[in-house]
Amino acid sequence: MNLILNDLSPWHWAAGGAVISAVTLTLLFVGNRRLGVSTGFENVCSLVVQTPYFTRDALRGTNAWRLPLLGGLLIGGFLSAVLGGGWEPFWDLGMFDAEIGWGNGGKLIWMFGGGLLIGFGTRLAGGCTSGHGIFGMSNLELPSIVSTVSFMAAGAVTTNLIYRVIL
Amino acid sequence: MIVFYLVLGSVFGFALSRSGAADYNFIQGMFLFEEFQLYGIIGTAVALTAPSLWLLKRYGRSLTGKPLVIENKPGHRGNVYGGILFGIGWSITGMCPGPILVNIGEGKLYALAALAGTLVGAGAFGVLYPRLVKPFHLPPIQVGTGEG
Repeated sequence: MNLILNDLSPWHWAAGGAVISAVTLTLLFVGNRRLGVSTGFENVCSLVVQTPYFTRDALRGTNAWRLPLLGGLLIGGFLSAVLGGGWEPFWDLGMFDAEIGWGNGGKLIWMFGGGLLIGFGTRLAGGCTSGHGIFGMSNLELPSIVSTVSFMAAGAVTTNLIYRVIL
Repeated sequence: MIVFYLVLGSVFGFALSRSGAADYNFIQGMFLFEEFQLYGIIGTAVALTAPSLWLLKRYGRSLTGKPLVIENKPGHRGNVYGGILFGIGWSITGMCPGPILVNIGEGKLYALAALAGTLVGAGAFGVLYPRLVKPFHLPPIQVGTGEG
C-alpha cells in the first residue's frame, strides 16, 4: 500500500522505527528531555489561556523547547511533500473517501470532533503515542503500558465499529 | 537550542510522514489488523530505545555532563480513561498528536480542523483540571497528569 501523500511508497517499517528511536535518544542525550508531543498542545494553550493549570511553571518552563519541536514536525511534513513529488494543499483521505464519502465540510466536522477527543484524552492520560507508547514503554513505566494498551484497544474497537460493523 | 529542537522535530516529522505513521489508511489498517507497518514502526522504536535508554541511564549524564533527568509519569485513573478517549480520536482522525502537525505540513487541509479540535480539547482539560482531580485521582495541579 502506498501513502496518500503523492502516492509515495512508504519506508520499510524498520527504518521508520530506527529514526524515531534516534530522535528519542538524541532528545534525551543532547537536550536532557523525555520525548512527548501532546504536552506541546498545552504549551500552545498557555500562550492564550490564563488559568492556574496553564500558568504553572512546570508547563510554561517548557515552552522554549516544546514549541520549536512542534514547529519542526510541521516543517518535516512540508519537506516530505516538497522532496517527494511536490507540495500543494489537498483534501484526499484514502479509504474515508472510498467508503464514507463525506465532502470537505463533513471532513472538517469529523476531524474537529476527533481532535477534541485527542486533546482531552491525551492530556487526561498524561501522554500520547510518543510519550507513553515510545518513551514510557521503553522505560518500562507501568502507567505508560496501561495507557498504551487503553488507546490501542479503543482505536481498534472504534475502527472495527466504523469499517466492519456500521459500513 | 531552538534550532536544535526545530531540526530534531523536522527529522521526526519527516520519518512519521514517510513511514506511514501520519497516513489515514495505514492507521486504519493497523486498527483493522490488516497492515503490519505501524506495529513494526512502534515495535522497532521501542526495541531499539529500551536497551539504549537503560545504558544511557547507567551512564547517567547528558552530552554536556549534567545529570540525566527522567521524571517517570504518575499513575492515575486518567491513564485508562484518557487513553480510551485518545484511542477513539486516533481512529476517527487517523492521526495521533505528532502526525496532526505532520499532516498539516504535508498540505492536508482537514488536518487543520483536527488541530483546532485538539487545542480546544486540551484547553478544556486544563480549565476543568480542578474538577477532574477527584474523580480521576489526578496529581496536584502543579504536577499535572504527566508530561508527554
